[in-house]
Amino acid sequence: MASLPAKVPLSEIRAELPWRLPVPQVLWFDAKLRVWLSAQDKPAPLAIVIAGTGSDGNTKTISILRAALYGAGYHVLTMPSPTSPEFIVSASSTGVPGDLMRDGKDLYAAMQEIIAHLPRKVRITDIDVVGYSLGGANAAIVKSIDATEQKLKIHRVVMINPPVSLFSSVGRLDRLFTATIGPGDQGVELLYRRLYAQIANLYRASDRLELDENFLLSAGAATLKTDAEFSQAIALTFRLQLVDMFFIGDLYAKTGVSTDPAHPPKVGDSLEAIQRELRAKPFAEYFTRVFAPYYLKRRPDATSASLIASNRLDIISDTLRSGGDYYAQTTSNDLILNRRELAWLQDTLGSRIVVYDHGGHLGEIGDRQQVADMLEMLSGGWPRSTQ
Amino acid sequence: MKAALLVVLLAAMLDGCASQVLSIRTVPDQTPAADNAAAAANAAAFAEAAAAESANDSPQAAQEAPPLLTPADAPSMYTYDPWERLNRFTYRFNARFDEAIFLPVADTYGRAPRPIRAGIHNFFGNLAEIDSIINYTLQWRLKYGWRSLTRLAINSTLGIGGLFDVATKLKLPGTPTGFATTLAKWGMHPGPYLVIPLLGPSTLRDGVGFLGDYGTEYGINVFNLYRGDVSWGLGTVNAVDQRANVSFRYYSGGSPFEYETVRFLYVRRRLIEDEGLRAKEAVKKPAVEAPAGK
Repeated sequence: MASLPAKVPLSEIRAELPWRLPVPQVLWFDAKLRVWLSAQDKPAPLAIVIAGTGSDGNTKTISILRAALYGAGYHVLTMPSPTSPEFIVSASSTGVPGDLMRDGKDLYAAMQEIIAHLPRKVRITDIDVVGYSLGGANAAIVKSIDATEQKLKIHRVVMINPPVSLFSSVGRLDRLFTATIGPGDQGVELLYRRLYAQIANLYRASDRLELDENFLLSAGAATLKTDAEFSQAIALTFRLQLVDMFFIGDLYAKTGVSTDPAHPPKVGDSLEAIQRELRAKPFAEYFTRVFAPYYLKRRPDATSASLIASNRLDIISDTLRSGGDYYAQTTSNDLILNRRELAWLQDTLGSRIVVYDHGGHLGEIGDRQQVADMLEMLSGGWPRSTQ
Repeated sequence: MKAALLVVLLAAMLDGCASQVLSIRTVPDQTPAADNAAAAANAAAFAEAAAAESANDSPQAAQEAPPLLTPADAPSMYTYDPWERLNRFTYRFNARFDEAIFLPVADTYGRAPRPIRAGIHNFFGNLAEIDSIINYTLQWRLKYGWRSLTRLAINSTLGIGGLFDVATKLKLPGTPTGFATTLAKWGMHPGPYLVIPLLGPSTLRDGVGFLGDYGTEYGINVFNLYRGDVSWGLGTVNAVDQRANVSFRYYSGGSPFEYETVRFLYVRRRLIEDEGLRAKEAVKKPAVEAPAGK
């Protein structure tokens, strides 16, 4: 673990964005974009951190990066993923997430709006962007947009465990779900039963009277031991985020997969049956039944194949190759990358990528080496001359 | 008192409003270094306890312990929620109240010096020991009842009216219980899921339990704290203190299915706690009821 500061000040910022689409009744709580700021009390560079798929701007991973960056003297602004429920409702211009360039433009617009309205005492000398997982790809796209628009003058970007092809990464997570949990919703039920029995047995054996958060954290760690169990946890977490995105995208695109477009659900209505139904569906179904119909209608020249191709990081490959300010950190055993994609990243970024030999997807975040390397990359000291 | 409270509420609501586009609210500082240390300590304590338990596993103890639960024993994934429509509206009301009033006030309270907050927290914790003693007695778990009684005695005297938790320092940590657990111990099932206004997720049984606890406190009315002029303010401070000590945020991840998730987790947690109550009973029975040779 890298050494972390004792105290990090934090403000929660809610932004009402002028281009927000009408908010569906059952999503009333997502009307404002929530971002988080840790400001230095002197002029400093701003590091914007973008969360991974489906995540809000204040996750555990974000907290680690925030602490490391704040400790190194940055103002830190952390933002949700453009695929998170809150972002889709409050900041998306489509309501149908998953298009790398479209999401990037929405994210870029939200950044401008927020930075323009920050209190004057937050004095920003430079802007860098860090993103993990899908947020890494978002970060690179945002910088490439900024390179032509020049509204923020983003300096450097560090992508941590980015995907290369959105759809092939997601496909791998779907296959992981089928392989470790099983197709459909029965696998989820079996997994739940096993976990319930394990945690109940641990609890009965312990001398505790109350099942508190500390116990649950420890019990969770005790039930997650084998690689297979970790894989299940990753696959399930991802699937649950996909369920949120699927439901909201379907609601906005009016594609009628889980809800009747003429009679959208209201506040008192149960959503459990919808959740159960969507939990059994892989991302491929989101693509064919919500995403593709929506975009094909609006982009006459597009085909399903072109939509998939436009969701690859190589749409900005020239920029990544020649622009010196794009950096990446990943691991040789990241499950969202195959060998070819990792090789592509290495070839494209050259000395601006570091590949750790352990950590899997995001497991290296917060390690002493990862933090030190990230800070070097952001400050322009990478690659180190000693290397 | 009421006027003062109103001023605090208004101050908290206005606090930090900046521009129209952004509303900015300062939240308590993050303490990453300390959090890491605490997480490591928690993991170590858990591992140590697990090791101690497995070392204690004599063949005899294994025989006395109830059989382990199997996945087939797990309750359904779905929750009995016949009042769902009303519950969902209450949930939304609670989320809005929390966002607009409860949480800002708790955050403001969180900026008071730590010793003051600890004193307030300990004070209410100490008063709650009375209810714990009664309920442990009703549950016939006299060992814990005795512990609560000892804690009450120590903290009310050495701890200066409960402001300091001396007992925990003397290795007597608090183990509060309430009427809901008593009902569970008596064999009552959780019943329908119930979202209580201002209080949050509950079940019919836990709701009755809450009323029971309140009734007990009201009935005993220690130092006239629960019926006198100060009861209203005191109840508010207690509620704010409790909120400040819970990290839950409504809709922090923005999920459309948060109601389902919270309901699932709340009821599962209570059911596992019930399993714990039953397990301890099963271990005790042979020792208490059927001593050899009687």
